[in-house]
Amino acid sequence: MLQYLVILLDDTSASFCHYHVTKSTPRLMPLDTLKRGIRFGMIENLMIQFIYPNHALPQEYLEVIDTIDHSDIKPLAGDNADADIIVTDNWESDVSKLRDAVVVLRTCWAQFREHYSQLNNWLAVAKRLNVVVTDVERLNDDDREQYKAILETLSKEVEKLYVEGKSPQFNLLTDRMVLTEMNNCNAGDTTITLAPDGKFYICPAFYYDGENQSVGDLDNGLDIKNRQLYSLDHAPICRKCDAWQCRRCVWLNRKTTLEVNTPGHEQCVAAHLERNASRDLMLSLRSRGTFLPDKEEIKELTYLDPFEIATQWN
Amino acid sequence: MKNNQIKPNKIRENASPWQGGIAKSITFIVTKDCQLACKYCYLVGKNEKERMKWPVAKAAIDYILSHEEMFPEASVTWDFIGGEPFLEIDLIDQICDYLKTEMFRLNHHWFNSYRFSFSTNGINYHTDKVQAFIKKNITHLSIGITIDGTRAKHDLNRIWKGDAQPERGSYDDVVRNIPLWLEQFPNAGTKVTISSADIPYICESVLHLYSLGIHEVNINCVFEDVWQEGDDKRFEDQLMQLADAIIDGGYYANYACSFFSEYIGKPLDPVNENQNWCGAGKMLSIDAAGNFYPCTRFAAYSLREKRPIIIGNVRDGIDKNKLRPFLTLDRMTQSPDKCKTCEVASGCAWCQGENYDAAATPTIYQRATAICLMHKARVRANNYYWNKLYRKLELEGSREDFEKNKPQVKPIDC
Ligand code: SF4
Ligand code: SF4
Repeated sequence: MLQYLVILLDDTSASFCHYHVTKSTPRLMPLDTLKRGIRFGMIENLMIQFIYPNHALPQEYLEVIDTIDHSDIKPLAGDNADADIIVTDNWESDVSKLRDAVVVLRTCWAQFREHYSQLNNWLAVAKRLNVVVTDVERLNDDDREQYKAILETLSKEVEKLYVEGKSPQFNLLTDRMVLTEMNNCNAGDTTITLAPDGKFYICPAFYYDGENQSVGDLDNGLDIKNRQLYSLDHAPICRKCDAWQCRRCVWLNRKTTLEVNTPGHEQCVAAHLERNASRDLMLSLRSRGTFLPDKEEIKELTYLDPFEIATQWN
Repeated sequence: MKNNQIKPNKIRENASPWQGGIAKSITFIVTKDCQLACKYCYLVGKNEKERMKWPVAKAAIDYILSHEEMFPEASVTWDFIGGEPFLEIDLIDQICDYLKTEMFRLNHHWFNSYRFSFSTNGINYHTDKVQAFIKKNITHLSIGITIDGTRAKHDLNRIWKGDAQPERGSYDDVVRNIPLWLEQFPNAGTKVTISSADIPYICESVLHLYSLGIHEVNINCVFEDVWQEGDDKRFEDQLMQLADAIIDGGYYANYACSFFSEYIGKPLDPVNENQNWCGAGKMLSIDAAGNFYPCTRFAAYSLREKRPIIIGNVRDGIDKNKLRPFLTLDRMTQSPDKCKTCEVASGCAWCQGENYDAAATPTIYQRATAICLMHKARVRANNYYWNKLYRKLELEGSREDFEKNKPQVKPIDC
């Protein structure tokens, strides 16, 4: 069931996820489209998330936005006062501006590898940190070992914070410990995106992909063909998986395997390395005393890609 | 005992495919050309230009044989299709010689467990080059010649290419080669494809093929959405006539027709009978450009609406990510609700390529159901067939005998 409506206020609205914003010329969503988008969200009972560009919005836009309960996703580079989520892809960001914020840090693998040791500064100030490795689909076998080692290092930092009595939230290491079921992006299933052109997309990535991949518009409503394929029960690999923190990015799925319901190997491996690092972290914290007593232990697995056991259920 | 309550473990009407289905099928699309222009042909992009060249075939073989770990199947079927494959007999001969030499040289696990397979229109079957090839490889060969039935039925669809009027059927050009073919492959079967216009000819065509000495007739309805209102009833009538003819004429003892099977028309268990039907993805096809496909039906020349699904090429190898959807696809995930709860679901086939081509989005996960009514009609006629046959056998006291010796039909690959 749909629950969220993402509204891209501008063609250059900041990316908060794997995709790149491929448009460089600012173009605001027409005001009338914005009003109709909000109306759609109200009628369908959807929680609206606005995605902002770097540049400031005209006052009339802010007034219209304020007519509905919503959350704001804003770039660090712009005016981010009152943002619910701040996004950046700049490792050199001034972390003091991130105090108590929910932060999304987008980074390519090469940069992550180079700068990851700075993350303890980010974790120390942010209320929550989501790191998105934007080219996770390129991780090869060597990268895999390195990613594992990096997660181990970061895990020690997180553990220190817990020992100091803090409750860090870090998507790569702490989410899996607290989850009890899949918690994916759910684009196309519970979330849909409205772009400045007045059309709906599965997520912003499909808007920026170029070819017209809309799934309806404000005039005619939503028209998501084969919608069942965006739900977990129609994803033969993912529905058997317990890397519950995984984004399960349907856009990456389509890019790597040509099917929105089938993940590529690299996405699965990265998510399992995170899952396993979460397992180790949880065990380590529990060895120090009671920790998340109501949560089950994360099981040890013999694989990093659930596809490897796919034949067992086929 | 009621006739339709036979214990399944007594029935062996379908012969196992070669090597019990554990053979890898690797297909060379050697040409997209054909002498014929069959009206039901799904190959929408046939042409005379795209002929495989030796360097491409060699590169494909070198890649496949040097990646033994990616092809663990105990056996291999090297399949050659077109268009009409025998138009490229020189290339095929070169490919097969190279395969044999290389499998031997590399001590490859397929060396003693391979076969070459052909699906041909039969027109060039008697030519010197094709015959020399057959003689050279006869112990590792299977060849199917497509003949649709009576002259009227065959010539309805299987016509020569060109604009000549009236259209020229190919029946005589094929039938003259049947005796030679059956002499060389006495157990060979033929494959018949039924489309809407063919329905009135089904019964007489099967009987005609039997009369030509072909003991095994594999038939299937096309998966494309070609059916007209009332076709299911007409189809059922034809199958009932055929059932009567086979039983009354006593053909059931020595001849087989894939339409009638004791396994079809039952509900399927959602968990234990959840396998995909089609083998796409477990096979590999290679075209003239050196591209790899999960099955030939995903090459551009086979598709009406969609882009081809290319899973690699002879230079870069196979992109395993592109195979994942094929290898994890199951029946329930791709089927609409009506199929999941269908009470006569068993035996209702689908083609992954047609599913993809007909789907509302570019996915292999949307099962096309254009044959739904035809399957149900087949199930009704099939029930009639077995009820009638077993009653007859019981009255004659020959049922046990029949069970032991009944003729078998190899399952159709596609
Ligand atoms: S599908 Fe979801 S995870 Fe993937 S890019 Fe879109 S919003 Fe992000
Ligand atoms: S049924 Fe179709 S898609 Fe499946 S293997 Fe056969 S030709 Fe290919």
